[in-house]
Amino acid sequence: MNRKIMIDPVTRVEGHGRVTIHLDEYGQVKDSFFHIVEFRGFERFIQGHPYWEAPVLVQRLCGICPVSHHLAAAKAVDQLVGIDPKDLSPTAILLRRLMHFGQVFQSHALHFFYLASPDLLFGMDAPAEKRNVVAVAVENRELAIKGITMRKFGQEIIKAVAGKKIHGILAVPGGVHKTLTEEERDYFLSGKQIENIDTMIEWSLAIVNFMKDYHAKNRKFLDEFAAFPSGHLGMVNQEGGLDLYDGRLRAIDSDGNITLNDISTDLYQEYFSEAVAQWSYMKFPYLKEVGRDKGWNRVGPLARMNICDFITTPLAEKERQAFIAFTGKKVNNSTMYSHWARLIEVLHCAEVIRDLLHDPALMGNDLIRKGTPRLKGIGIIEAPRGTLTHHYEVDEKGMITRCNLIVSTTHNNDAMNTAVKWVANNVISRSGTITDGMLNQVEVAIRAYDPCLSCATQAMGKMPLHAEVYNHLGELIDEKHKN
Amino acid sequence: MSKMINITIDGKALQVEEGKNLMIAARENGIFIPSLCYYEHIEPPLGSCRVCSCKINGKFGPACTEKVTEGLTVEVNTPELTDTRKALVEMMFAEGNHICPACEKSGKCDLQHMGYELGVSSTRFQHLFKDRIIDFNPSRMVMEHNRCIKCMRCVVDVLTSDGKRVFTYQNRGNETFVGIDYEQEARLTEEEAINAMKICPTGAIIIRGVNQSEPFGERKFDLQSSQKDYNKKTAHKKRTVPMEKKIVATVSLAGCFGCHMSLLDIDTELLDVVELVSFTKSPLTDIKKFNNRCHIGLIEGGCCNSENVETLRYFRENCDILVALGECAVWGGLPTMRNAIPLSECLEEAYLNSVTSEPGNTIVPYHEDLPKILDRVYACNEIVKIDYYIPGCPPDANHIWKAVKNLLWGEEYSILYSEFKYD
Repeated sequence: MNRKIMIDPVTRVEGHGRVTIHLDEYGQVKDSFFHIVEFRGFERFIQGHPYWEAPVLVQRLCGICPVSHHLAAAKAVDQLVGIDPKDLSPTAILLRRLMHFGQVFQSHALHFFYLASPDLLFGMDAPAEKRNVVAVAVENRELAIKGITMRKFGQEIIKAVAGKKIHGILAVPGGVHKTLTEEERDYFLSGKQIENIDTMIEWSLAIVNFMKDYHAKNRKFLDEFAAFPSGHLGMVNQEGGLDLYDGRLRAIDSDGNITLNDISTDLYQEYFSEAVAQWSYMKFPYLKEVGRDKGWNRVGPLARMNICDFITTPLAEKERQAFIAFTGKKVNNSTMYSHWARLIEVLHCAEVIRDLLHDPALMGNDLIRKGTPRLKGIGIIEAPRGTLTHHYEVDEKGMITRCNLIVSTTHNNDAMNTAVKWVANNVISRSGTITDGMLNQVEVAIRAYDPCLSCATQAMGKMPLHAEVYNHLGELIDEKHKN
Repeated sequence: MSKMINITIDGKALQVEEGKNLMIAARENGIFIPSLCYYEHIEPPLGSCRVCSCKINGKFGPACTEKVTEGLTVEVNTPELTDTRKALVEMMFAEGNHICPACEKSGKCDLQHMGYELGVSSTRFQHLFKDRIIDFNPSRMVMEHNRCIKCMRCVVDVLTSDGKRVFTYQNRGNETFVGIDYEQEARLTEEEAINAMKICPTGAIIIRGVNQSEPFGERKFDLQSSQKDYNKKTAHKKRTVPMEKKIVATVSLAGCFGCHMSLLDIDTELLDVVELVSFTKSPLTDIKKFNNRCHIGLIEGGCCNSENVETLRYFRENCDILVALGECAVWGGLPTMRNAIPLSECLEEAYLNSVTSEPGNTIVPYHEDLPKILDRVYACNEIVKIDYYIPGCPPDANHIWKAVKNLLWGEEYSILYSEFKYD
């Protein structure tokens, strides 16, 4: 008897995702799909609007990483007024970087403490009522408080420069519209009102060490769970170092061979194409030269660890060295190492924020610059979840005529489907009955990518699942809830 | 000195200068009458928005066109008048495509300000979502017809140095719009053009390159209010018994999850909150179905597909109180920008015409395992009965929790002016 297992909803940023696993009459997995079930149409409805409204408007794509959308759009809009990233004023660059690193810091902290930590602390088969941040707080209040406070720190950074923690505004075409006051800067340095940046670095190191301890005890699981070969994509600076705000695009295949050689972000559409599947509203980007089957790439912390030559801050670089030592400097294709990579980035962000806060140019008054207007602008940034592309075209009057967005999670679409297939084939296939633990393993595999579909409901780390089993006639024969 | 006469406002006897505009006479005596179109220097007053409607000698009328006379009796602050004014402002929100999170005049918008002053948290009228153009043809400005409330301020007050009109009313009735004379607009100085933007009560007149100049928290209407006890809720009796633990559910429909993020922005206070509430079906938990009746359900996002509608109805069935949380749930929010565009165009643009689309691709997703996309995005109250509304994109964390606590335990609370926003 053929069966279809439906996991619904797998929560996501802008609504819900859904997994279907199709079994044949022998209980063998025939196919599996991670369906993205929502569509909003930003690329069309932004047309006809003034380009300068884009950075404010498109950040409403996401409430967890709005800063990434705000800044990617701003970088594109800068070009529309004739300003390349290097031509921004030093103060504008520093403020935008501060905002972005504050954003990545809070988003990664949110993911680890609210989302991933219950699985790691309690195990995938723990009772459902334990797998949430409240239970983490009950069992380890100090860890929970640290996590909440780290996220708060990032949110406060954003508020200081953008006026609001969520959907604030800093960037305007060609620069920023405010500077940072000495008082605002000292708020993060003094430690009088909130824990200061040095404490954030200390706590970030501690959480990386927590992950290293976890690795020592669970290496086999981290190595093998949902591991599969793939390409990896990210952005690096001129020297090949990790850069989350600006740089050039680099991709490698699963063996480490270069597939995209540090190209200018302006050229992205010459190298990337997006496939469409009937069963998902999310597209499937891939490198044209490599082809649809093997040209897709993972993005995000794991990919960034794989593609960069070094990290630009000392403590994080030391941790990266420890990270890559476990794979003998080979490409790390193990999904679960994403969590470790993410925590190294948390440390990197804290170090960068400290350096930025000590830079006097942060409080300058040279905020906006102008150039010769152009008709096309492309902004690419390393969002918390990976490479994020905003592309706008305008007419001579400033009206947006075209918009193309490739959000980070879109790049990870194939990777998440492959991860789901891995769980389906290795855990669910021929198992006969469905258990909560099996369903949670599907979640764990998807969650490792911190998908921006998770920016929505998965953000709390709790993906309520509902599995239904249908017979070949489409009749419901079994149902399982994760309560 | 002008002759002093006697009038009565809300039963209070006042002495004012004869012939003075009622709006000013009231203001000078500490009485605030909301208005949108009234500018002191525009004479005669426009009387177009009617937000200043009062009962003048027993009859409804706009205060802005009234000059005080001996024995005038005016009612300003009665429940009926307050609700009438509120309805007038709600109508303006419903008639235009006013999406505060997308508007660069936000924080400096008089319509928004009136919404704050009158405590408008939702509209009782269905939004029209008319397909209006944005006119990019003027040389210096952009005319955003989606935001125009046809107050006439620009028509009568924006003139060239030789007295030529720049703006005019065109068409009649429901089809009226403010046309712009491109030739005269080009003759305005930069300062005159900026003044035209400033005189517009909404974001309908936008000057290129003059945007987003003031950060959140420092904008005109972020902190100012004419109301002394703005949005203060009636105090309930102080609780003498311990708080009963309440059950809270949350869900994100067609939103961005920013409202859930704001829920978390109470930071470590969350650890205190969970002492008082249990989260049932929510992204906070793994609970898929309601196991028990829920005291309060917080809904983020509007409805853009069939699954959203089913989920919302399920919440209505299982929650005593349903709260629409954030712009998308309250009004439909920014996703409603697609409501004036055929769905097919949105799908074609995303899947067929994108610069990274595969050449010759003909696939637009459509599958039995995908929910159906609705013809447009719907606010939650268009699908089910909503009990309370908390607007904002997202609402401030303090605002959310004060409101939730008040709903659950009847706690006294007051929302600060800076906490109540639409953007």
